Amino acid sequence: MSTFRKSQNSASPGKLSVILSTLIFVQILNVSIQIWLLYTALNNALDNNTEILIPAFIASVVLFFIGFGWLYYLPSGNFTRYK
Amino acid sequence: MKKEDNLKENWKKDFPYEKPQATQINRRDFAKFLTLVSGGLMVGSGLVAAKAYLLPKEEVQGEHYICKKNEVPVGGTRGFVLEGSTIPYILIHLENGEFRAYEQKCTHLSCSVFYKPGSGIIHCPCHEGSFDANTGEVLAGPPPRDLPRLEVIFKEEHVYVKAFIKVKEREV
Repeated sequence: MSTFRKSQNSASPGKLSVILSTLIFVQILNVSIQIWLLYTALNNALDNNTEILIPAFIASVVLFFIGFGWLYYLPSGNFTRYK
Repeated sequence: MKKEDNLKENWKKDFPYEKPQATQINRRDFAKFLTLVSGGLMVGSGLVAAKAYLLPKEEVQGEHYICKKNEVPVGGTRGFVLEGSTIPYILIHLENGEFRAYEQKCTHLSCSVFYKPGSGIIHCPCHEGSFDANTGEVLAGPPPRDLPRLEVIFKEEHVYVKAFIKVKEREV
């Protein structure tokens, strides 16, 4: 088995932390925008302005799939987790 | 068994977590949790849109008799509820002689609003929200929307209300 990953991880041990922090930062950003979109959609729905609701929903869906896609890059760790 | 040891054991039974486990429920799980929240917000936005299009808010149908003109003095108000509805409204006799009717629920958190005689302001005491009594527009405070309005019409000395048709600016 290749020792590439092992040597990479030992060469830059802070990498995992940076990747995870970036992922979480982007996800918090996405969720914040989604909260704002939901708030705006609710206000407009109650004010009978329906034209903004579909675009707000589509934007929310896009943000969710961006966040979901991010999970692909979620590192599994440098070592096997506890059993 | 000593008291301290006993407490220690009970504590372990109540919270059966090892320290490594507690520290491992960390950013990885948090990222997954954020995705779950994101999905929830997406569903929420979808529900808001679906509700608005599939089950739109019912407009007030027809004309409804409220009272006689002289029953509401200048600067006075009268609360009413339309037949078949539970939404409270207020009829206001403004100082300039005109009548206005608004939903009595503040658009912020649905507190009951009241008219301040002589000021031209409808006030919400909960969070100090203010609305223009002439138009229903928000003047101050946290309310995000104008007060929903009904149109007041007169038939001789009788006051009636009907749905208010908002003329959008771009259509003017």
